[in-house]
Amino acid sequence: MTTSDATANKGNQQSGVTLTINGLAVNADTSMTLIEAAWHAGVPRVTGVGCLEGVCGSCRVMLRRGKEVTVGLACQTFAENGIEVVFLPPASAPQHHYELSDFKDGWDIHARFQDIFPEASRCRHCHGCDNACPKGITVENGVALSVAGRYREAGDAFFECVMCELCDVACPELIAPAHVGLFSRRITAHFHQRPPNLIHRLEELRQEKSGTAQEEKDE
Amino acid sequence: MSNGIPLAEALARYRPDADLGPLPELTDTDALLNAYHPDHLRGSVVKLVVGANAGDNCQRGLAELLQSEAFIDEADLAGTPVTDIDVLVIGGGGAGCAAALMAAEKGARVLLATKLRLGDSNTVMAEGGIQAAIEPDDSIQRHIQDTLRGGHHAGDPALVSALAGDGPDVLRWLIRQGMQFEQTPSGDLHTRRAGGMSAARLVHCRDYTGLEMMRVLREAVIQHRSIEVWEQSPAVELLSNELGQRCVGAVITSLLDGRLRIVRTRSVILATGGLGRLHLNGFPTSNHLGATGDGLVLAYRIGARLRELDSFQYHPTGLLHPAHLAGKLVTEGVRAAGALLVNGLDRRFIDELLPRDMVCAAILRECGEGRGIRIDDQRVGVWLDTPRLERANPGLLEKQFPNLMSRTRVSGIDPRIEPLLVHPTLHYQNGGAVINVNGATTVPGLYAVGEVAGGIHGRNRIMGNALLEIISFGRRAGIAATANNDRGPKKVTLEHVNRLRRALTLAGMPMTQRSPRVLPDYAAGGVWNR
Repeated sequence: MTTSDATANKGNQQSGVTLTINGLAVNADTSMTLIEAAWHAGVPRVTGVGCLEGVCGSCRVMLRRGKEVTVGLACQTFAENGIEVVFLPPASAPQHHYELSDFKDGWDIHARFQDIFPEASRCRHCHGCDNACPKGITVENGVALSVAGRYREAGDAFFECVMCELCDVACPELIAPAHVGLFSRRITAHFHQRPPNLIHRLEELRQEKSGTAQEEKDE
Repeated sequence: MSNGIPLAEALARYRPDADLGPLPELTDTDALLNAYHPDHLRGSVVKLVVGANAGDNCQRGLAELLQSEAFIDEADLAGTPVTDIDVLVIGGGGAGCAAALMAAEKGARVLLATKLRLGDSNTVMAEGGIQAAIEPDDSIQRHIQDTLRGGHHAGDPALVSALAGDGPDVLRWLIRQGMQFEQTPSGDLHTRRAGGMSAARLVHCRDYTGLEMMRVLREAVIQHRSIEVWEQSPAVELLSNELGQRCVGAVITSLLDGRLRIVRTRSVILATGGLGRLHLNGFPTSNHLGATGDGLVLAYRIGARLRELDSFQYHPTGLLHPAHLAGKLVTEGVRAAGALLVNGLDRRFIDELLPRDMVCAAILRECGEGRGIRIDDQRVGVWLDTPRLERANPGLLEKQFPNLMSRTRVSGIDPRIEPLLVHPTLHYQNGGAVINVNGATTVPGLYAVGEVAGGIHGRNRIMGNALLEIISFGRRAGIAATANNDRGPKKVTLEHVNRLRRALTLAGMPMTQRSPRVLPDYAAGGVWNR
């Protein structure tokens, strides 16, 4: 088994293209991401940029190729000829409110979920969220799992979610799938993750501490 | 650098099953560090002339910012809208969120101002994991010893023992916030042993530990009733009392409309992170776009003492290729899982799990002495032998490192077949503001937590202590800042700015440059050069 030297050198093959970013015509080459293309051309006011490696979900862009319109992350998308790129504004404040400390116990979760995310059960299976997701998450299925009370599986479906919230934008029922996914993950950890090795060490530390406190008292 | 083995030749020679020969013995670590670690590059360090650290060593690029002019003066404050709040947190990464949550839990009204989006930080990019001594053969004491030894005994033992002691409870707190960790079939938290650790102590969520932590904390902050968040809102200056001796607030601007706002408060918690985007010594960086050292600049100008300003961490395995990911990390977790480092002659050259500064220096030695693999005149690196790892553990990369696989997939690279070309990358600020166990700096009313603070990692941080530090000290500062019960400031001034200006003038220093930097110049309309 050997490696192909073609792939390792691909980054060096450059070819010039013209595209528009936020309405400005920009020259770039195809080895540049859309963020690099924006910097290269000095496009002003591109502040929705964070990690540059596809995990922070900040650099949301709308992309138009002819009649086809899609969304994506600018740091994961390369410059192409003729593409129109618009950096999207930051997501608006969330419409679904909860604090984990308000939950009584694990039996309470499913009823509370219906109150917090009433729209989730109204999914019309339009696949808007699936198409919008830059990470290839099966968003629609994840939401269905939450609605069925299968929070662990739902959370697993959203494992690679970077909270770009592009699915929230795409949803005509305003379900906020990214937040449904995160809710499912958080509730699973909060109520079900009880690791014996951690709990044992915490107990040892508690006993040590109360032992020390007792000794100090005795002195 | 023109020497090195051409890529095509090295690739032709590379075999995942080659005999790598014996590991050469490392006899003198100090000599290796002195000769090859970037901290020791000639001309990279200068002495500070003014301020609380006058006379101390400091990296040149940072010293220029610490000793420069502010953006605003008193005239800018007139007519500026004022917000009063109990606790102001500056920075929206893991440390800032932990501090805000804890302060809010203690009953404070909290404002969190962050330069970019809430959660845009180095936290979200942390891959490998978080340290906590929870295994039966491990102890808090061993965690303390490993941390101090890894930092070449330059760390503050009181801070280190607070950090290590907090470990297990930090994990409990994170799970309560809704963070998931990798578990063994019996439900134990899965641990790994990484560089510089004497026991398996690294708890993780595959290679998305930071993302999992950040999205959970971000959601907890957004959902919290007592926390207000201002995004795209960098701090440009702190505010002091009439004597310039106490921090009583900050001036915040907006990247969207450029307007200034004054925040008056009893406590300010700086959680602004590091400075990789200053590209010290011309190195690429693993850091996110906002890591421009703003917190150090603000803290220094108001009189806070800093430490270890000449010591930075260059992570051994930054990607050299593809170009758009240059400097981005391959997590140390890959080496912890067994991946080896191999030079262009198909030889191992260092124990891959030594502390990061030594591995980094060894890679730079291989590149410097012509045993690296050369893409072109600028780019020389060594192999991270992922195909060998995959051969020994089929399926491991896909299962445990989905982040690495997903990032390389975008570029058409398959680490299961091709070894990755890596080179050290500017990763972490070992030092920072001097703090006590509550995160309090030497200036009353000012706290510093996370990467902007110093003293824990000495002169070299070991893996997994950064994620622990941000939560451990974030929580500590959140509590301490809330306990500050004085009646708050009567008057907010820029007296400390005037003081530094006088000092700069007396020292005959130029005041042409302004700071904080806020964004790297290439992202603010300057010249972009890969």
